[in-house]
Amino acid sequence: MNTLKKAALAAACTTLLSGTVSTALAANWLMLQGTEAADAAPRAKVWGFIQTKYQKDFSDANASGGYIPPKLVGPDLNSQESFSVNRARIGLRGTGMPLDSNVNYFLLVEFGNNGITQPGNAFAKVTDASITLNHIPGARIRAGLFKTPGSEEVYQGIAIFDYINFTNFANQQLIERSPNDTYTANVSSQTLPVGTSLNTFTKSVSAARDTGVQVFDTFKSNNWEHSYSIMKGNGNGLNLSDNDGKQDTYLYWSSELITSGAGPRRKGLKMYAWSQSGKRLLDNTNDATHNPTEYDRKRSGLGAKYLSNKFRVAVEFAKAKGMIWLGPHQATFDMNPAAPVGNGENGEASAWQLDLGWYINSKWELDARYDVYNRLENDTVFPGGANIGKGFETEWKTLTLGVQYHLNKKSRLTLNYAMRDVTAVDWSAGAGPNAELDGVGDVLSMQLTHIF
Amino acid sequence: MKSIFLKICTLIVLVTSPFIGSHAIAAEQSMADAKVVLQISDPSPQKQTIVLNVASNITKHYGQGQVDIEIVAFGPGLRLLFAGNANKDRITALAGTGVKFSACENTTRNMAKKLGHAPILNSNAVTVSAGAVRIVDLVKQGYILIKP
Repeated sequence: MNTLKKAALAAACTTLLSGTVSTALAANWLMLQGTEAADAAPRAKVWGFIQTKYQKDFSDANASGGYIPPKLVGPDLNSQESFSVNRARIGLRGTGMPLDSNVNYFLLVEFGNNGITQPGNAFAKVTDASITLNHIPGARIRAGLFKTPGSEEVYQGIAIFDYINFTNFANQQLIERSPNDTYTANVSSQTLPVGTSLNTFTKSVSAARDTGVQVFDTFKSNNWEHSYSIMKGNGNGLNLSDNDGKQDTYLYWSSELITSGAGPRRKGLKMYAWSQSGKRLLDNTNDATHNPTEYDRKRSGLGAKYLSNKFRVAVEFAKAKGMIWLGPHQATFDMNPAAPVGNGENGEASAWQLDLGWYINSKWELDARYDVYNRLENDTVFPGGANIGKGFETEWKTLTLGVQYHLNKKSRLTLNYAMRDVTAVDWSAGAGPNAELDGVGDVLSMQLTHIF
Repeated sequence: MKSIFLKICTLIVLVTSPFIGSHAIAAEQSMADAKVVLQISDPSPQKQTIVLNVASNITKHYGQGQVDIEIVAFGPGLRLLFAGNANKDRITALAGTGVKFSACENTTRNMAKKLGHAPILNSNAVTVSAGAVRIVDLVKQGYILIKP
């Protein structure tokens, strides 16, 4: 058990033993997404949000005119400029029998075009379908499909996310890509217009969700609020059933000093730690036989967020071990498809981010985020065994500047400009993976959000 | 002897009046500038918030002790007065300023049939035989009915 996992478990136990049970709706994501206000929730509240987006990627092609996924607009990866309906979600939540607050439910369906719906060109996909039982003080039980407690960036309600795109680590390591059932050949960089799709995933991204059972609750002590969650899940994302006979374990703890307000933008200082561990099957041998291998997949992190009426400061650290996708569709190195490749199956990665927000007034908001992500930081030997002293570690650094204009409390326009620098640290410019990475450039994106 | 007996009876009534039928006596004896009864009878969570907001705003306007406010909950609106209601802290605070809360006994009885047990009510709530009748009685006493 790693240190973060121990810390999360110890904090959860301490909270259980020392706190008092809160019966009010707690303004944290664990409670906001899993519970309803006691005796004050509707039978079925219709809610959702729409996010329409424009994105332009200024990346340059490689020497032969080819583009890799980080240089194209997802999820279709066939253009550098696109309008899209990034998210369109509609759901129901409430207490089916309003007289009994001990049972509530949460249902949400995605209709937008993203990693959830793009594989298989799905018309819609259920992202959340859960029932929460609130009968046991200090140990609420939530069962079904729902977001797994973790990184604040991903765990927060995405409709109020202050940026358009995730950090590199969240995008690559937390919005998990499920391996295809059979070996899928790598796809090299493509010239435009794209001839062979760079996105050959056959299953939805996990969207940081899983199907399972969670025990959780929140405890109040004066102005402090302590929360814990312990969850077992299939470890199979949005696919609703188990595929390997192994289950994932999710641990989460948070403590928050509340200064004012309530709901998603409650003011205060929040600290949290989380851990996820499980197994994944991956058929990574290029033959006609279905012969997947089992690999560990571990993710963990900790962070803090301070939110006041005037500004926001947030910092997160995270680590990943195993099942590190290097390309669009398989755990091999897609950016230079010729062997050798990096060892993503057993690779390690780490990341941190600093996020600042300044609320100029009720309408205007300025945001700035700097994130650093080291992928395959343990990679020094090629899988074939030939140690040439160069690994396939890549460093992703992105500074994102943002402006948000809030038309009202439910509608806002977001403008982001991301300056990206991606380098294979052990290789010189133009050599090895850098032949593809050198051209990764800036991204301009605009998004209109309306929550209903 | 008769005079002593009447004095004792009067004393008993005065001593016990805060515990039985306190709403009615308080209303009849009130010297408040304004008297308001607020009705909540639908299940909307927003209505719960609005009813409590209105009571709070009226109290602030007239001043504590200068207005009699009674919130009568019946039908689906009775959820406001469930012991675990998310607004229970606000209810306690309003009760502290003199706002009264009445829970319909007919509704309680019907809800008990559906739940299999009687709902546990907020300790600040006083049970009245019928919420609608309570409102009629209060209007007769000069209360103004507001149904947000």
